Amino acid sequence: MISEKIEAMLEKVQKAPRYTGGEMNTAVKSWDEAELRFAFCFPDTYEVGMSHLGMKILYAAINAQPWSLCERVCMPWVDMMALMQEENVPLFSLESRHPINEFDVVGFTLQYEMSYTNVLAMLKMGNIPLRREDRREEDPIVVAGGPCAFNPEPLADFIDAFMVGDGEEQIVELNAVIRDARKDGLSRQELLKKLASVRGVYVPALYDVTYHEDGTIASFAPNCPEAPEKVLKAILTDLDSVIYPKEIPVPYTEIIHDRIMLEIMRGCTRGCRFCAAGMLYRPVRERSLEHLVELACSLEKSTGYEEISLSSLSSGDYTCLAELIRELLKRMQGKHVAISLPSLRLDSVLKESLEATQQERKTSLTFAPEAGTQRLRDVINKGITEADLMEKASDAFAGGWSSVKLYFMMGLPTETYEDLDGIADLARKVVGAYFAVPKGQRAKGLRVTCSASVFVPKPFTPFQWEPQDTLEEVQRKQLHLRDALRQVKGANFNYHESGLSFMEACFARGDRRMGQVLLRAFEKGCMLDGWNEHFKYDTWLEAFDECGVDPAFYAYRRREKDEILPWDFIDSGVTKEFLWREKQKADNAQTTKDCRQGCNGCGLQRFKGVCKFCG
Amino acid sequence: MMAVFEKSERLRHIGHLDIQRTMQRALRRSGLPVKYSQGFNPHILVTFASALSTGAIGRREIMDVTMAEDVTPEAFVSAMNGALPPDMQISCAKTMDDRHPSLTSMLYAAEFEIRIMDEDAAQRMIASLDSFMAQEQIITLRKSKSGMKEVDMKPLVYSVQGEGATLRAVLSQAEGSSCKPDMLVNALCAFLSMDTPRVIVTRSMLMGQDEGRMVPLETL
Repeated sequence: MISEKIEAMLEKVQKAPRYTGGEMNTAVKSWDEAELRFAFCFPDTYEVGMSHLGMKILYAAINAQPWSLCERVCMPWVDMMALMQEENVPLFSLESRHPINEFDVVGFTLQYEMSYTNVLAMLKMGNIPLRREDRREEDPIVVAGGPCAFNPEPLADFIDAFMVGDGEEQIVELNAVIRDARKDGLSRQELLKKLASVRGVYVPALYDVTYHEDGTIASFAPNCPEAPEKVLKAILTDLDSVIYPKEIPVPYTEIIHDRIMLEIMRGCTRGCRFCAAGMLYRPVRERSLEHLVELACSLEKSTGYEEISLSSLSSGDYTCLAELIRELLKRMQGKHVAISLPSLRLDSVLKESLEATQQERKTSLTFAPEAGTQRLRDVINKGITEADLMEKASDAFAGGWSSVKLYFMMGLPTETYEDLDGIADLARKVVGAYFAVPKGQRAKGLRVTCSASVFVPKPFTPFQWEPQDTLEEVQRKQLHLRDALRQVKGANFNYHESGLSFMEACFARGDRRMGQVLLRAFEKGCMLDGWNEHFKYDTWLEAFDECGVDPAFYAYRRREKDEILPWDFIDSGVTKEFLWREKQKADNAQTTKDCRQGCNGCGLQRFKGVCKFCG
Repeated sequence: MMAVFEKSERLRHIGHLDIQRTMQRALRRSGLPVKYSQGFNPHILVTFASALSTGAIGRREIMDVTMAEDVTPEAFVSAMNGALPPDMQISCAKTMDDRHPSLTSMLYAAEFEIRIMDEDAAQRMIASLDSFMAQEQIITLRKSKSGMKEVDMKPLVYSVQGEGATLRAVLSQAEGSSCKPDMLVNALCAFLSMDTPRVIVTRSMLMGQDEGRMVPLETL
């Protein structure tokens, strides 16, 4: 019945292949035989969700268990949403088209803060009460993980349990606890207490918060013995021994990252001070070369994809990168497969391997100097010099590239207008490097694209105490930079909606009181905020106002050293003391060495055998 | 290698470009010795007899794959069906001479089943088929390079009958003078001065010509 209605709706929507399901390598497990059914919800559209590696890994991890089943759910686009509402069709899974409230667990991955309204939208479309307090015994357990789960508090009113850290084993453990609790007839409350014992799981109902008069947190503590005082993230020590999918769904329609993503390692040793991922995914764990080659071959065979992307936070740091690329090229010979490295670091010895991948096709090269001057790059500990960048750019132009993307941030702590002018200078020098290659030898069509995003201070980084630049300041800086880059022939400038970064800053470091703002904004129609055409800045401000919450308190306020931060109860592996040390060094523009050159005592050394660069 | 494949109900909203890409990837997954094009962006040499509209089901769609080595049709079908999703399986294949004319040029007509999703409308439409087809001309508008153009579609409709709530029609698919099923439905509804009902189209067979007779394309 629901399937017939869906069929009729698909005639009227744009991009119907988002909703058809039935793609190659999707799971067809028996609904009736499964002891536990998990709806994996990605709070954005299909094209975004299906490009996300974590979803593919966890989908495989859950479906690998004979007793559990995992199906995918993505956020419908507005046209589909309107039809579903009209026809009274609840949010359904792609595989079997079951309404999500018929699953035992509904799990969201939180990749970016501005997808939170979509989480609420999906719950609502699935007929699941938004507030966890309103959920009944028969409602699914609503869980959430992903990088934003490291500061779960803005979603604490809506999520029954958060999963913090590496998910591969944790999610199976969590499912087993829920399965057993259901079998034993435990109440929802009892079940949640059991979940609190799973590693890296945070159950917000089991904690109470009080506030000082100035709005900062006075206390944060568990309200029952089952809940740990500190929630330590789940950490895997050996990636070779955990599941990695040998088959991944191959969508019919084009998605954003339409290729094999091979996670060669997790974590990063660089210690860039603005980068949450660089702190949250510590320590560095590399997959072995043999394992990676085997995975690449299986994935190529099972998907038919034409491209393999070697993915990680800093693929250039993978110990045997050159060997890996050489081996992959050998194995993929004649198969017409391109090998790409998405997050290419400037200072890695890559020339040789780069040239090797060029046997297939050429795309544009991306560099992320992040800041325009050496001083500011030292502040953020981005260990890249102008000479590094120029050398790589020259190599790239000589090697046949003509399109280069440069990524920067504006509004970094201590930034001045000199630093912004530095961005234009760098762009000018990169253009110069192109023209330095003799005319006959360089590729035509020079394009140097400079993108400047607005810096958002994130939890668990040395900048977690820092204020964000005000909107007015950001806009002044954007205009300044736009004008400066207009003078550079061959360069163009991209910048972002600054209101969005402001909201992102509020949620990134928000506490439980942000929940009411989120709910209000959602009720007022905020949704799909990550999509420019749907972001309603004024409505967001109204929601803050109506809830009596000041966004400046979250975005623009400098925190004191001894303030209890909303995420302090999570142990991310990295200690607050380390982060404060790093903040002080940033204030003095002092750099910190790469962990590969010696341990910096970030906190991971507390766990024996977890980090191979410790001690 | 000429192969007959299905595009099932579930995939009816998948457009032709996506079907092409899915077939390319399935061919890669199959491990069969296929031939790639030369040049900068090599792709597997596979052509389709006719693009099927988004929204339509295809029962016996036809493609032609250039092989690099000889493969038996049985081996081809079995390797491909392991590599294709369940909603897009191959029913049969046949070895073709490399120099055969293109599928597009061999295509002459196709049989369509047009399911009318509104029973009253279906009754009216089917009851009027004879008088509709008895018109001397059936003038309809068709998009062409130079804007909308009036064409007489009557000679493009080889046959049309009603069956329950379904129209079964054989329509021309020849290059440059093809008739789409919605052209027929729209013209019929215009003839009856009624709103066009919701329909689900199935292309059940592609046909070529053999000594003046219409035969399934795959038999040529």
